[in-house]
Amino acid sequence: MKRIVEHPPETGAAKAYWRSVEDFSHTEQFQGWLKTEFPQGAAEFWGDGVSRRSFLRLMGASMALAGLGLSACRRPEAHILPFTKTPEWQIPGKTLNYATSLPRRNGGAPLLITSYSGRPIKIEGNPLHEACKGKSDSLAQASILNLYDPDRSNRFLKNGKNISSADAIKALAEWKKSWQANQGKGLAILSEDNLSPTEDRLQAEFSAKYPAAVRAVYEPATTGFAQAAIETAYGKGSIIRYNYEKAKVILSLDADFLTGDEATLASVRGFADGRRMENADSPMNRLYAIESRYTNTGAAADHRQRLPASHIAAVAAKLAELVGAKSLPIFQALPELQMDPKWIIEAAKDLMSAEGRALVVAGSNQPASVHLAVAAINEALKAQGITFEIYKRPRPTSLSIVELADVIKSGQITDLVILGCNPVYNAPADLNWTELQKSVNTVIRLGAYEDETAALSTWHLPQAHYLETWGDSVLQDGSHGCMQPLILPLYDGLSSSQFLAYLLDAPAGVDKVWVDGPELVQETFKTKVAAFATTYAFDNAWSLFVRDGFLKDSKPRAQASPFVFAGASMIAETRIASPQALSKDNLEVVFITDTKVDDGRYVNNGWLQELPDGITKLTWDNAALMSAKTADELGIYSGVHVKGIVAGLTDAGIYFSDVITLTVDGRSLDIPFLIVPGHPDYTLTLPLGYGHEKTGRVGQGVGFNAYKLRTSQAPAILTNATVIKTSAPRYKFAITQEHWSMEGRDIVREAPIAYYKENPGFVRALGIESHTPENITFYKSPPFDYEKYHQWGMSIDLTTCIGCNACVIACQSENNIAIVGKDQVAKGRELSWIRIDRYFSGSQRDIEMGKGVIPSDPEMILQPVTCLHCENAPCETVCPVNATVHNEEGLNVMVYNRCIGTRYCANNCPYKVRRFNWFDYNQRQLDQLYWGPLGPKKVEETIKLSKNPNVSVRMRGVMEKCTFCVQRIETAKIDHKILTKRTERKIPTDSLQVACQQACPADAIVFGDLSDPNSRVTKLKSRELDYSLLDYLNTRPRLTYLARVRNPNMRMPGAELVGMSLVNARIHHHAETEGHGEEGAAHGDTKAHGHEAEAKPAEHGSKH
Amino acid sequence: MANIFPTWTKWLPLKLVIAMLCLGTMTAVAVTYYFTPKYTRVGYQPIQPVSFDHSLHVNQLGIDCRYCHQSVEVSGTSSVPSTQTCMTCHTQIKKQSPKLEIVRSSWATGESIPWVKIHKAPDYVYFNHAIHVNSGVSCYSCHGQINQMEVVWHDQPQSMGWCLECHRHPEGNVRPKDQVYNMDWRAESPSVQRKEGQKFVKEWNINPPVNCAACHR
Repeated sequence: MKRIVEHPPETGAAKAYWRSVEDFSHTEQFQGWLKTEFPQGAAEFWGDGVSRRSFLRLMGASMALAGLGLSACRRPEAHILPFTKTPEWQIPGKTLNYATSLPRRNGGAPLLITSYSGRPIKIEGNPLHEACKGKSDSLAQASILNLYDPDRSNRFLKNGKNISSADAIKALAEWKKSWQANQGKGLAILSEDNLSPTEDRLQAEFSAKYPAAVRAVYEPATTGFAQAAIETAYGKGSIIRYNYEKAKVILSLDADFLTGDEATLASVRGFADGRRMENADSPMNRLYAIESRYTNTGAAADHRQRLPASHIAAVAAKLAELVGAKSLPIFQALPELQMDPKWIIEAAKDLMSAEGRALVVAGSNQPASVHLAVAAINEALKAQGITFEIYKRPRPTSLSIVELADVIKSGQITDLVILGCNPVYNAPADLNWTELQKSVNTVIRLGAYEDETAALSTWHLPQAHYLETWGDSVLQDGSHGCMQPLILPLYDGLSSSQFLAYLLDAPAGVDKVWVDGPELVQETFKTKVAAFATTYAFDNAWSLFVRDGFLKDSKPRAQASPFVFAGASMIAETRIASPQALSKDNLEVVFITDTKVDDGRYVNNGWLQELPDGITKLTWDNAALMSAKTADELGIYSGVHVKGIVAGLTDAGIYFSDVITLTVDGRSLDIPFLIVPGHPDYTLTLPLGYGHEKTGRVGQGVGFNAYKLRTSQAPAILTNATVIKTSAPRYKFAITQEHWSMEGRDIVREAPIAYYKENPGFVRALGIESHTPENITFYKSPPFDYEKYHQWGMSIDLTTCIGCNACVIACQSENNIAIVGKDQVAKGRELSWIRIDRYFSGSQRDIEMGKGVIPSDPEMILQPVTCLHCENAPCETVCPVNATVHNEEGLNVMVYNRCIGTRYCANNCPYKVRRFNWFDYNQRQLDQLYWGPLGPKKVEETIKLSKNPNVSVRMRGVMEKCTFCVQRIETAKIDHKILTKRTERKIPTDSLQVACQQACPADAIVFGDLSDPNSRVTKLKSRELDYSLLDYLNTRPRLTYLARVRNPNMRMPGAELVGMSLVNARIHHHAETEGHGEEGAAHGDTKAHGHEAEAKPAEHGSKH
Repeated sequence: MANIFPTWTKWLPLKLVIAMLCLGTMTAVAVTYYFTPKYTRVGYQPIQPVSFDHSLHVNQLGIDCRYCHQSVEVSGTSSVPSTQTCMTCHTQIKKQSPKLEIVRSSWATGESIPWVKIHKAPDYVYFNHAIHVNSGVSCYSCHGQINQMEVVWHDQPQSMGWCLECHRHPEGNVRPKDQVYNMDWRAESPSVQRKEGQKFVKEWNINPPVNCAACHR
């Protein structure tokens, strides 16, 4: 029954067609054509007086013409809009990769961006660069959403009113003239520190051309203590670079070198490489951590000591004495130590025995004296050239914001240019910057958002995102990195470099105001590479630079630098004072940059807001972190928990907290508090970056502004703080994981290295399956053909996973995962496919929890969990419509279009990895979800651009979960088959990386083909540390874990308990096997059998 | 009691049942044809903004499919050509033809020609052209006798069931690799096609996936 039916088009299309024809219908050509095509009186139809309607009516009557006429209801018309001029290199449907770098205050991150159809869609690390080796972190992964942020500044403003860019440019031209006339008198430029050689060069040229102008640089997160100390010790312009992979013993003094300010991609990589165990005899590094809050570094540490930040200086002094770094006068009259001295003595011994392969690092919060002491300690340990090295990189001098404030106060400044920055929000509170800025005549601001500073600026210019501009950066290891644009500025924005170049009258090209090509970067590039003999040599070098994303061999060589304590001005500061005794009336406050929003720049980034914090699992907020004991003594909380959940603060799974008023130095802040086990007593940690009064829709009103308490005198650590409880209503937190306990199940398995060496098969001895009968089942396991098909599997190494959340954001970026908003997260409906579970463990913790007390000093274990792709998947059997099936390659496949939303699969999943779209999170506004169809429905155009075209965007009512990046798998298979002309069935060994694996800076996630005996994942799964989650359920997951191994120093106090939590539980259980008769029934009864208290070595006899 | 119901109503229930059954069957049959892509899609022949004639360009002029649909051998999409591709010839040939006015104005102004999409798979289906044309599946198998179409119409239903038919029995549609773009090539007979097809399937390791993840991602 096939008939060629000429369905007439929809009226709309017909109109469009004819409209375009009308445009030229009066040409003679067309009239002539009309006569030949429509001989019967065409001229009558087409004249000046005929209406379109009658024309169409008449046309429709003629059946000789193919379907021209009024239409009935047919299928909606879709259009294909190809290019007019085909762009070079682009193949429709395929991606291109370009290298660039993300500018950062502690060194740029080298990146490789995937570009689809002329726009960037995914960020990866640059695999060519040795500092990151293709890895990235959560902030780099999420920065692409900032490019497509619909709330980004997209217009030029004057006094808050929209003006055209032409007018703004005209005004700028006039100022430039006046500034040039008086050599910049009255002009001040405040910029952020992008570590860009081009910007440095332009700043220097600016100072030369406008000698009367004032230049200041402000990075709120940079305290400058570390750099000051290094320059004092090694000379001006010295920069320290660490080699963590060479360190056998590492001691961290409040330095979160894995996920915090002190972290670089190389530090994570180096640490993980030193940690990873290929087999039971592999060497493993050891990490000691003394910290003022729980960080991922503390979680990875073998020995951790919690200590308020102001007490850490005493530790540095003691350590210096022990290792023999006695030459500094700071160690005269040692301050009093507030912790067990044996801890430090044994740690020092361990450091000294490492023969130079030791490293001590201090956190950026610690005062310069501590950094100086640490530098002296590292020298005494003879670590220079091994675990750290010094190289020289002079930076241009500029004023600090404090000095700039003085200049403004003296009335000398009439024009203030702010490039980036947000000083109204984050300037030190004692400067009263708001008034200062208002006192300046004209404020011109180049900003990415219309934020607090823009509100008080005369002129506002939109700043371009780093993916939109040319530039360069000093990468984390000091090499010269390229920054190339992936897309034209979406909103006519410009970068700081372009602005400075404009003031320097740099030639911009015909009809252009800003230099928007690579000329500025090329100028700087020429100075980096030795004289180019010919243009050809330059072009070659430049092309390679842009292609690779960095200049090869530009990593500055380390120079053997003698430790010189020449800074006399430092002496006054370097006498480490005795630490204050802290109490509930004399609290310490520590400011930290948040791991998610950094210093506040990412506050409008939905992915990062919804990302659970690595330790607290808090989303969409910040809080004052404190220990349970502190909260108890302050009278704001009673410190009791029930079954690993903070009792009294949780209500139907939602976490509430009281709001406290924190007062220090006469300034107050109202902020809710959050109890973190393992937090030191009498100290509060305040994450910065939240509480913006004016930003985009995502960040507006989120969190609390800790900058209000931060002064230039004490930007990091404050004491003499007091807390009172307010009568404000309880504040709701959206925490993704409130409970800390594994509740007796061996979900994360760990052991200390000695135990592992004695019992290599310990992993099998843990877990319920160790004392249950073997899985004998009626049903045959599903057969998989390892010959014919790939068999995908994944292995996650818990020893190296640091819980940095890079995988979570990478997955969100790759798979178009929506954000759901705070309310939905509070209901447990977060949508991220991979989650990092964190459990507090440790024998001490068990004792405390057995008593119902929140653990004060537990260990922490982290475990990324994603869909495990079980071979015997419980989710597949219960789907009534077969929307989730298993494919022959071992993947548990989710078919979105078939799903009807019964959610039985999520119910049945024992690992709770399935996510349901309760609402249409993509199109509906997150604060109006419950209006349903009556609510506003809109997708911002730029958000559409950010989606990965190879993955479906899910609608309401559909279940989703990790697919092992099936789009990458299929693309790899297809590309390989085409490349080899169908001769090879399988892709080469380890040639495919899934999103989480590609992002993980510690290389903890390994994905590959199990049917290939040479692939890494096959080798990892054959190791004795390999285990599956909840093995006894016989789900046979394809994602398995390598148990965590810790490396305690047996001479340290408490060493015999490190990592022994679950092992002790096993011993405890086995010792009772005789009595299991009547108590066997109590296996499930948590109270009687004390499952929460997994090991009570002391109380064993008394309880039973 | 008087007879309320006349005699003829005795047969009514039976007649009603038979009528329902007939109606039901007819509805089912109608739906399985008229509500499926076999009817709703096949024959769709929208008017294109430019009346591009495939029979002229392919049959008469002998232009290979890939001259315009350039990415079909490497990419998932076969890419409708850009205006530049048209202008490679039409800056010389038929420079003033009114039929090409839209092409010329597109080239001048930079506005895309709004081609009407005929073959459209749903958004959740990811079809990849490259793997098919590299596996011996010709344009003809899915798009019909394009080289004889003056105005392109939707020739095959392209429903999921139709795709699966070939995926389950690929030997019916696989041809020598040098004949993939030859729209007029046919096997001598269906049995020859099957035999040759089986040979190709074996030789080229053709194993078309029938699991959902192959297309639904």
